[in-house]
Amino acid sequence: MDPRLTEVSQVFERFKAAFTRNDIDTCTKLLSQLKVMLTEFPSLPPLFKESPNAVHELTLARDIYEHAVVLSVKCEDQDAFERDFFQLKPYYTDTCGIIPPSPQEYPILGLNLLRLLVQNRIAEFHTELELLSASALENPCIKHAVELEQSFMEGAYNRVLSARQTVPHETYVYFMDLLAKTVRDEIAGCSEKAYDYLSINDAKQILMFSSDQELSEYITEEHPEWEIKNGFVFFQKAKETAPCKEIPSLQLINQTLSYARELERIV
Amino acid sequence: MCIGSLARRAISFSQETRAFFFRALACSNLSLCFFFSISLLFSLLDQACRTMATVAMVSSASALLAMLNENHPVLKLHALSNLNTFVDYFWPEISTSVPTIESLYEDEEFDQRQLAALVVSKVFYYLGELNDSLSYALGAGPLFDVSEDSDYVHTLLVKAIDEYASLRFKAVESNEAAAEVDPRLEAIVERMLDKCISDGRYQQAMGSAIECRRLDKLEQAIMSSDNVHGMLLYCIYISHSYVNRREYRCEVLRLLVKIYQRLPSPDYLSICQCLMFLDEPEGVASILEKLLQSGSKDDALLAFQIAFDLIENEHQAFLLNVRNRLPDSKSRASSRINPPQPSESVEHETSGSDSAQNGNAGAGSATVAGSVEDVQMTEGAVQEMNPNEVAYAEKLAKIKGILSGETSIRLTLQFLYSHNRSDLLILKTIKQSVEMRNSVCHSATIYANAIMHAGTTVDTFLRENLDWLSRATNWAKFSATAGLGVIHCGHLQQGRSLMAPYLPQSGAAGGGSPYSEGGALYALGLIHANHGEGIKQFLRDSLRGTNVEVIQHGACLGLGLAALGTADEEIYEDVKNVLYTDSAVAGEAAGISMGLLMVGTASEKASEMLAYAHDTQHEKIIRGLALGIALTVYGREEEADTLIEQLTRDQDPILRYGGMYAIALAYRGTANNKAIRQLLHFAVSDVSDDVRRTAVLALGFVLYSDPEQTPRIVSLLSESYNPHVRYGAALAVGISCAGTGLSEAISLLEPLTSDVVDFVRQGALIAMAMVMVQTSEACDSRVGTFRRQLEKIVLDKHEDTMSKMGAILASGILDAGGRNVTIKLLSKTKHDKITAVVGLAVFSQFWYWYPLVYFISLSFSPTAFIGLNYDLNVPKFEFLSHAKPSLFEYPRPITPPTTTSAVKLPTAVLSTSVKAKARAKKEADQKASAAEKIFVEEGSAGSSSGKVSKSIEKNGDSMQVDSPSEKRTEAEPSFEILTNPARVVPAQEKYIKFLEESRYVPVKLAPSGFALLRDLKPTEPEVLALTDAPSTVASPAAGGSTAGQQQGSASAMAVDDEPQPPQAFEYTT
Repeated sequence: MDPRLTEVSQVFERFKAAFTRNDIDTCTKLLSQLKVMLTEFPSLPPLFKESPNAVHELTLARDIYEHAVVLSVKCEDQDAFERDFFQLKPYYTDTCGIIPPSPQEYPILGLNLLRLLVQNRIAEFHTELELLSASALENPCIKHAVELEQSFMEGAYNRVLSARQTVPHETYVYFMDLLAKTVRDEIAGCSEKAYDYLSINDAKQILMFSSDQELSEYITEEHPEWEIKNGFVFFQKAKETAPCKEIPSLQLINQTLSYARELERIV
Repeated sequence: MCIGSLARRAISFSQETRAFFFRALACSNLSLCFFFSISLLFSLLDQACRTMATVAMVSSASALLAMLNENHPVLKLHALSNLNTFVDYFWPEISTSVPTIESLYEDEEFDQRQLAALVVSKVFYYLGELNDSLSYALGAGPLFDVSEDSDYVHTLLVKAIDEYASLRFKAVESNEAAAEVDPRLEAIVERMLDKCISDGRYQQAMGSAIECRRLDKLEQAIMSSDNVHGMLLYCIYISHSYVNRREYRCEVLRLLVKIYQRLPSPDYLSICQCLMFLDEPEGVASILEKLLQSGSKDDALLAFQIAFDLIENEHQAFLLNVRNRLPDSKSRASSRINPPQPSESVEHETSGSDSAQNGNAGAGSATVAGSVEDVQMTEGAVQEMNPNEVAYAEKLAKIKGILSGETSIRLTLQFLYSHNRSDLLILKTIKQSVEMRNSVCHSATIYANAIMHAGTTVDTFLRENLDWLSRATNWAKFSATAGLGVIHCGHLQQGRSLMAPYLPQSGAAGGGSPYSEGGALYALGLIHANHGEGIKQFLRDSLRGTNVEVIQHGACLGLGLAALGTADEEIYEDVKNVLYTDSAVAGEAAGISMGLLMVGTASEKASEMLAYAHDTQHEKIIRGLALGIALTVYGREEEADTLIEQLTRDQDPILRYGGMYAIALAYRGTANNKAIRQLLHFAVSDVSDDVRRTAVLALGFVLYSDPEQTPRIVSLLSESYNPHVRYGAALAVGISCAGTGLSEAISLLEPLTSDVVDFVRQGALIAMAMVMVQTSEACDSRVGTFRRQLEKIVLDKHEDTMSKMGAILASGILDAGGRNVTIKLLSKTKHDKITAVVGLAVFSQFWYWYPLVYFISLSFSPTAFIGLNYDLNVPKFEFLSHAKPSLFEYPRPITPPTTTSAVKLPTAVLSTSVKAKARAKKEADQKASAAEKIFVEEGSAGSSSGKVSKSIEKNGDSMQVDSPSEKRTEAEPSFEILTNPARVVPAQEKYIKFLEESRYVPVKLAPSGFALLRDLKPTEPEVLALTDAPSTVASPAAGGSTAGQQQGSASAMAVDDEPQPPQAFEYTT
């Protein structure tokens, strides 16, 4: 067996051990070490060079990246999640003929969908969805995310929030928490358009805050343009009517004149 | 993923198709090869697909892009290098992440910045942002591999060279140091040039080097090539056709001269051409002197050849300069000995068996070689001089004779006279059909006659029709007299005595009409056009001695022509005085004359003329001056821009019109984009029809070096609603495609010849004739159609006068110069012929002033091969035209009318249709007999096929209705033996071959024009072919050469009237 492969496997074993210990620092350190080591295997994407150990190498690399994704969720690091997920993705999409599908595939894809939902990147969410086969959509992990998105779009925010209890995988919890905040942002955006002002109590209820304190913190942080006055929250500042467009008269005059000139010049 | 599926689909497709093709193959074995190649192709494709399918392929670059954001530099590097590999597939994805990669490039600590730059550059390339792509490619440094064979590299290299060239150009423009040029850019271009040179692609290297103004690289490319001479010729060619700026072109040429001189065996012919362009007469003179002094006969022949080549470019001022710089033969001759006579007389004895005519010819050349007086003066001088000195002086005298143009003009005259094949019946038909009272058509016929016989000295038609001629009054008389000048064009010695009866008699207030006197002065100018040394003084005196404006008019034009481009101050002052009399008639001619005097000098006189043009009230004067101003900037290109600007912005449309001519002449034959743009702009936007017309017409001048372009550029304009623009388009095509017989040009002009507006028809007919001149019906059947159309228009009673005039002039131009001349604006070395261009420019003024039609004779150049021996005589020499004789033969003389002119039309149709049938049959016959007929065997072929061609010629001459067509059914030979001097039309040049066993070998392999012949058997007696023209006439029986036979019955009936240049007789006695 290739010595480099053995080395990678050994480091990966240590990583897994640390991972189960929840020793996150060690994990990240080992992970970056692993990633560098992986660049030396030409059989991995994007090169896909044929080699005797290709299957083994690919499986190992996929395993490493799957762990990396889960680790990033544990660290609550969304950027790392995105990075690792994209690096993992070719192993799912482009290696189907070479290595058997991974059991972790659907949970991780679902996780990614959830992340897109949390980040309110609906377009990308649907792009991802389109790439999945019909059977994949039946998978509970994927189904969960799809249902969430549907409720989210309908505005059935309560259903979204209650779905936290029915997560198909323990890693999903982190994103479900974040989802609550996304929902709140949505609501805030809508109420801004819908109302000129709201009483503090109503606002608190709509935005699902338990105390005035939290509400005012939220406002100063996310919507500094809102104003709290006499027990009311005023939104109107945000509603600036766009000035109606002026007619570009000079430009039009110039154009007409040049047409007239061109007409004169017709050969 | 998608690529994978595509590949799979491709496989299944290819399998199906392959099956289909194999089935097809089984059914038919007709196109076996074709199917086989197709199936082979598919199997290849199939293989390619399979390799693609087994090796997996990433479907997206997102993984790599994500990796770019990793912290570890090794990961970034890994991602980057993979991106570089896959950028060709994934650039759309990568393009969104370009900022990330750019930031990597800008990160000083990142050690693979160049790789990042390369990736970004590629992405920008795919996005079509070539500027950004180039700047990042420069950042990539050595990673950008110029030798890589990919679209990306090719495109960027082109871009880099363009960029570099434009930077260099700007740097030169603004006279700043080239400091602004990015050194990296320079490095890339240099790498590219070096690579071209090392790969042996010298032409590319030279082209790019010239474009980039890197003369050092140009030199390197030329020197390192294995064919230095070829490269130099190529370089001269591109510097003329692609270098737009005159100054820079001069620089390139100077470099070329330098390289030429360094070569072990310099090509003096090319050097002298370069030097002529650079206007450095000293250089040419010293080369000629060196060649003459070397003593070898071959060198002397080469020197003569150079002189003839220079003459062809018609640069009078330059030639005079060269001549004056050569050591003075007279001073030597008078103190020592000169007479070429001894050698001549020796020749007389050796060739004693020949008739006395050879003696005449020899003596004729002697008169030119060492001027007569000189010989007589030194007649009794000491004979015991150093023979080397004698030979040198003799050679010097000869070369001066050549440079003065006398030799070539004399030979041309002899050729045109002896080969004159003009068809008087055409003129007769025209004369009979034109109404007596219609003076426009009457004088048009006179013009046509003059043009048809230009330079042939055959004025039979005029002499036979003196009654008819006398109907010309006033200005018609003026032009009738001037017409004699065209007919006798080049008759330098006899010119004045010929015109004597018409010239103003000094002192006595002669009874001659001022119109014929003015015309005679104009005629003298035409005779001496561009070679007016001898006649200038006389013309000046005539100008001063009169205050009749008609005579002044004639004298001004005559002076302008005779002193063309000499910038003679005294003459200029005389002409200016005439101008300041503010007489409309004389002033117009004075304006043109000043321009002719100052052609191409760009002198300050132009502003003087412009000032007067603003002062005067007479439109005629303004027009004359406008053209004159335009002529002064001839060929000056950018230097003329200020003046052009001044003229084109003027309030007065006539001056703007002059501005159009200024553009035309300043940028003549350069195909300069700026000039074309400007002209097209004026052609569509000016308010004056005259200016529009001229702007379009001027395009013809700008584009004549590239005639294929013109029909394309003016095709839209020729469909304009404005008849003036259509007229201009027709003439533009006529001018730039003159003498080419270009098919597109004819197709464009054809519909215009039946335009609804009369003057458009006129222009189109004239233009068509200019295009078709010397194109035979066998080459393009439309020539015959056109001839019939002309005849129909002339005969049609209801046709407008304008188009009738056009048709008459067109018939003249079509058969110009006894059918032995064509219109040529470029010499064989691709220099512009200044006289020809100026002639056509003034000719195009005939719109306002008919007598200017005669200027077209300036643009005629004889289509002849004239071989000369060391004594500048024409020896008997045969060579081969490897094409069917019928392709290039003279047009058949039209059939004589049996009863009335009405019968002529059907007979004309008959003869051609019969001929067409005969040709079809003949071709079938010929294929069968071709095998034995072609190359009979060089030696014996000379005599036997010579007879064949001669007999055919006789058939053609014996003007019988039926015999030519019947006899011609026998197979036509596929080649023809021509005898020196011979008519070689431009289209025929490529078929000319010199026989290997011939006694003479040309110094330069030129298929036409003057060629010096090296005599391989100098001891044997020479047989001379071309004798002095009139002596042939005096004794028509002595047709030792074919010339006498070719004279034909057409002109033979009246030749006795010919004036006989008496020198030959005087001398031999």
